Amino acid sequence: MNKEQILENLATAIVDGDDDMALESARAALDAQLDPLDAVDQGLSKGMDIIGEQFQSGEVFLPELLMAASAFKAAMEILKPEIELQKKEIAKQGTVLIGTVKGDLHSIGKNIVGTVLETKGFDVVDIGIDNGALDIIQEAKKVQADVIALSCLMTTTMPAQKEVIETLEEMNLRDKYFVIVGGGPVTPEWANEIGADGYGESAIQAAELVKELMDNK
Amino acid sequence: MLNFLDVYERVLKGPLMSEQDFDIKVFIPTLRRVVKEYGIQYDKENPVPNDDAATDNLFDAAVDFLSQVGVYCQDTNRVIQFSKDEILDAVHEAPGKCFAGEGKDAGVFGMRKPDDGKTPWLHVGSGIVATSEEMITNLIEAYGSIAEVDSISISALDSIRGIPVMAGSPAEIYAAIRGVKIGREALRRAGRPGLPIMNLISTAAAAVTTIAASAPQFGLRPTDGWLVGAISEMKIDFGAMNKSAYLLNWGANVGAESSPILGGYCGGPAGTAVVSTAYILMGLLVQKGSYQLTFPVHFRYGCSTTRDVLWVVSSSCQAASRNIPMPVIWLGYMAGGPNTKSYFYEAAAHLLTAVTSGAPSVQTPHPAKAVKIDGITPMEAKFGVEMAIAASKLSREQANELVIQLLEKYESQIETAPTGSTYQECYNITTSKPGDDYLRLFNEMKDELADMGVPFA
Repeated sequence: MNKEQILENLATAIVDGDDDMALESARAALDAQLDPLDAVDQGLSKGMDIIGEQFQSGEVFLPELLMAASAFKAAMEILKPEIELQKKEIAKQGTVLIGTVKGDLHSIGKNIVGTVLETKGFDVVDIGIDNGALDIIQEAKKVQADVIALSCLMTTTMPAQKEVIETLEEMNLRDKYFVIVGGGPVTPEWANEIGADGYGESAIQAAELVKELMDNK
Repeated sequence: MLNFLDVYERVLKGPLMSEQDFDIKVFIPTLRRVVKEYGIQYDKENPVPNDDAATDNLFDAAVDFLSQVGVYCQDTNRVIQFSKDEILDAVHEAPGKCFAGEGKDAGVFGMRKPDDGKTPWLHVGSGIVATSEEMITNLIEAYGSIAEVDSISISALDSIRGIPVMAGSPAEIYAAIRGVKIGREALRRAGRPGLPIMNLISTAAAAVTTIAASAPQFGLRPTDGWLVGAISEMKIDFGAMNKSAYLLNWGANVGAESSPILGGYCGGPAGTAVVSTAYILMGLLVQKGSYQLTFPVHFRYGCSTTRDVLWVVSSSCQAASRNIPMPVIWLGYMAGGPNTKSYFYEAAAHLLTAVTSGAPSVQTPHPAKAVKIDGITPMEAKFGVEMAIAASKLSREQANELVIQLLEKYESQIETAPTGSTYQECYNITTSKPGDDYLRLFNEMKDELADMGVPFA
């Protein structure tokens, strides 16, 4: 199998969400002495771009994204040790701490955003639902987050997004993190009113926003 | 019959697993298998399908799915499991009706079948749409003044004395109590004090809020309807179960609430139709509902009026109304807001879909995805009632043709649909009358729909 075929198979494994094919193709890449970073950039990431576009256009949904992310992780288990052995580094996109705010038990929108961010190469730390302001900030410090992404689905939990920003200000930590907000009732006006760094209406927009913020950091 | 404590025992003893494993290793693969094995297929050309055998097959798929997946409890990290026999027993034992309201305003909320000429139970009101304290009395009085209305939803207060209402906080308890007192008083003003309020307490994040607002001095009764929400997808927590535990002891009407999300863990329309049907079964088994409130929505557009969600509504509504004796209120979220053409097109499409598919009840379609504060007026309630009555005179086949025509009018603009006006912008606050512009649009839209073939009275 030549290099192009192996890279193509890596991309296909991601698009099909096929863990076995991802593992097999990653092993084939190393056997053929491909640069493992090329296998990631030109194979796995290409597949992630394709599945991202399909998600954006409504051809696939969250299950397919999750399966793609799983195949990506499977291939990385083979490729990552070799990358480290060769003392190379995968370019870091940044760390995003994502969670639903206090009083809100909704998680699906947040999970979709987290998965899309992972497919774009960000390290995502998902702290789940019903998180108080202080807990969110302490966790952000712990994982050295670049971005705090706050989700809510109810008008009665929107004030909790504001509380996180106010608490960051009170602790003189506001400049340390980008804070973005999203969820059903959230609007760009609300994001602006509470002093957030941005708002994404869809998961794809949220991922683009994070990338833009990190590029301009 | 499995009673509530039997279910609770399973919450403590069911298989232990992480929530992520439930989502990814149990829910998604089982749903994909069931969709494939039962051959559930989305029919893009027919948003209101007309095939009873396919509908009954969807019911069988939902029973199979629920028996394999169960319901996940977030507090114990365990799965509540039910056998197929237990699920079917619950279906056979279900009464298929709910007694609601008091005195001359009392009624029996019962079942309908697809193509049923009977008028559905007309549930009117804004539920989750947050409303300013100053507007709420006018709004609810106007709902109660619509003669055909069987039950109402009262609005959620967005603040109390200017303090934002935060979920689970003391302000939430104040707002819930204030809201129900205003609601009952407004119904007295409308001359219908016994009319059941069926969305209690729609925004209560904490069980203590529901329990606090149920104290008799605030005017609510067991013959009102009390919502206990499932968590998407196929999950429950102690907060919800605590509400059921209290309400069942009181003998109150429990309204099991669900909102399957197309594009989330359900995947596409076929999977969402299975889950939407399974939620009605879950409502009988877990929350022990005497009725259900359900509103499938699209994960990206936040509304219920995309072509694929309408198909989900129709298919699962038919599967449930033909096979599960559980009175269900079918609610839709519209992308367009009050005082926009988009709202009327979408609301007509949703009501035609649900009513002809056998919905036992429909609720006022919520404008602007239910997230615009004060973004609802009595005009949408009036339209919903007239449209639902008209739709009950049509068959699924006729509705399908009309819905296809309506989709042509709004489908391509759904992502940028206008959010419309607030109550204050299109109503006179003092007299509680609509402005001329909105009245003109209302009449124009009714004329246009009548020309298309909607048989308004």
